[in-house]
Amino acid sequence: MKNKDRTLFILFCILPTLAIFSIFILYPVTQVFIKSLYSSSGFGSNEEFVGLANFVELFKDDIFIQSMKNTGFLMLVVPAITLFLSLIFASILSFGDLREKHLYRTIFFFPSILSFVVIGILWAFIYHPNMGIINEVLNWMGLNQFALTWLGSKDTVLWAIALVMVWQAVGYYMVMYLAGMDGVPRELYEAASLDGANAVQQFFKITIPMLWEIIRITIIFSINGVLNISFVIVIVMTAGGPNNASQVALTYMYKQAFVNANFGYAMAIAVIVFSVSLVLSFISNKITEREAH
Amino acid sequence: MKSNLWKFFLLMAVLVLALVGCSDDEEAGKDSADSGKESAGKNQVLEVAVFQGGYGDAFWKQLAENFEKANPGTTVNVTANPDIGELIRPKIIAGNPPDVVYLNQTDPSGVTQGLIKEQGFTDLTDLFDGNAYDEEVPLKDKILPGVLESVYMAPYDDGKIYMAPYNYNVMGLWYNKTLFDDKGIETPKTWDELFALNSVAKENDRALFTYQGTVPGYLEEILIPAVYSLGGQEALDQMLNYDPEFWKTETALEALGIFEKIANEDNALMNGTVALDHTQSQTSFMQGKAMFIPNGNWFEGEMAEAPREDEFEFGFLGVPSFTADEPILALSSMEQMYIPKAAANPELAKEFLRFMYSEESVKLNGELTKAAMAVVGGSDIVADYLSESTYNVFKAVESGMYSMSGNFAPVPSGVNVDPREVLFDQAASVMNKEMTVQEWADKMYEVYQKVEDKK
Repeated sequence: MKNKDRTLFILFCILPTLAIFSIFILYPVTQVFIKSLYSSSGFGSNEEFVGLANFVELFKDDIFIQSMKNTGFLMLVVPAITLFLSLIFASILSFGDLREKHLYRTIFFFPSILSFVVIGILWAFIYHPNMGIINEVLNWMGLNQFALTWLGSKDTVLWAIALVMVWQAVGYYMVMYLAGMDGVPRELYEAASLDGANAVQQFFKITIPMLWEIIRITIIFSINGVLNISFVIVIVMTAGGPNNASQVALTYMYKQAFVNANFGYAMAIAVIVFSVSLVLSFISNKITEREAH
Repeated sequence: MKSNLWKFFLLMAVLVLALVGCSDDEEAGKDSADSGKESAGKNQVLEVAVFQGGYGDAFWKQLAENFEKANPGTTVNVTANPDIGELIRPKIIAGNPPDVVYLNQTDPSGVTQGLIKEQGFTDLTDLFDGNAYDEEVPLKDKILPGVLESVYMAPYDDGKIYMAPYNYNVMGLWYNKTLFDDKGIETPKTWDELFALNSVAKENDRALFTYQGTVPGYLEEILIPAVYSLGGQEALDQMLNYDPEFWKTETALEALGIFEKIANEDNALMNGTVALDHTQSQTSFMQGKAMFIPNGNWFEGEMAEAPREDEFEFGFLGVPSFTADEPILALSSMEQMYIPKAAANPELAKEFLRFMYSEESVKLNGELTKAAMAVVGGSDIVADYLSESTYNVFKAVESGMYSMSGNFAPVPSGVNVDPREVLFDQAASVMNKEMTVQEWADKMYEVYQKVEDKK
């Protein structure tokens, strides 16, 4: 009897959340999957069931393949560099004897409170081929041949965008790691230094293992962050150009859904992006799990 | 424990009741709105949604007021917004669209493009067959010749008019008039003459050409007239109606060749053009970094706040032709208006459009938007109000410059590429010398083939 009461109570407690979750997450996500099987313009009428045709088309669409490659590149490069730099900065700020510690902490965190659109516009002008600060400095130093059109060449545009995303995110993850590092017992470091371990060894043998759970989470956060942030940054900075060299999966999806009015096709892209990010999160979770102690 | 549980249940019950209460309110609200609509038999409400771009919204507000005065008992609600497409999309999907929409097919929201695919318009043929508001002549005779038959207004090639023209745009290349006058530079009439000016451009410390790099669709203003100049209407129709064979012709290669020449000649393309958006490139042009840029008659208004080199003055060149005995060209286009299929008041909406074409309204439009409507003698009626550069554009078109129109046909449904977009996206690769004209044409052949398959 008591058990039944308990179950009822639990059911009752999760009911509101369940309802909201169903309406705002489950229902739209199922709709994405259903709509991906239709050819539709997104205006309600004239929907035609086409089965998996959208997916077949997708894998023949070289812009889509290009955009997936670009997204993959950013997902690989941006989290790796961001998390590495964040860890380094966090440990310097946490263990180093810098008097300006708090100042640096604020400065590094600053980009995280700026809007992505502002960041995009800011960097578009930093990269401006004729009046941007990068090329001005290069020209002043006499390195004219290195003053490239950063956002206009297919060889540099992705790195240029990756740099912006790293710049934006480093401070955020640094603060997360800093919080983690404060929780690592100092005795461990004392004992290690008594045993003759230097700073680098301490970093790899103590700091990283002790922070491992936080690092795991930040890897997944950062991979998914890339997916979302790259959309805004690309739209603002390059509009996918030159010739789709910086097109990412979500900008292409947006373009197909709302500019070209191929809503069903766009939903097929969404399904693929959804599956890929799910698989990636799963893989990164599995890999890091094995290394955890 | 048990009493706590009951308290909790009670609390939830209250919450649920409150929620139900809310939804009741909503229902009630809806009811009253519905009854409002019914009683509107005499008091009709017209919803007008307009794109607020370079032409602002003052004209629409005033026109609505005038229309209300001329039709007592009607109320016109004007919604104007630069992102009007995003605002009306949910209403259209919900089956409750505005009655009159002014939004171009090339708008980034894709709403008009979607409605074209969807055949989501009210047929306007009877409006244009009927009499004009202030004269006893069919309305269609007051519209510029050829406009209503064009693919802009009759997108399905079935002899029916689904869209109504609003302002008339003229596009082509622009230059700094002061520079040309002071240095005694002749404006080029052919592409050869234009390329010959490269050395003059260099002497004056600027590149020959720039364009809106991240928005390469502006190159249409060069390509369409170039194809027309080389191959006539027939070649142009081939290109605009997605005939793959077009890309195998000399005409296509020669027209695309303009861009390859710009890419390959030293000093022809302004450094960094490919990475610049429209504001950045247009500002560079006005600061004297490049001699020519493509744009439309709205240029001066659009860039009113932008920095410029000393004594800068807008000069409209048009688009050079390929042989000296042909007139210089200009591309014209029409701003599009329409009545969505599910509109609540299509008849009143048509009345509103008819009213818009009256001479008084055309004048009002000229005064408030500094532009000419696509009606016969439109630019004369409003000559007093046009900015100098805009007036010069229209005047140039009247005095010997050949204004032609062309718009890519809507793609059949089921085609997931936008051929126009692919066409101009490649320009960046050509400008970066990563693609030849032959490869460009081959790529387009492939894309057009895809469209052909679905026709």
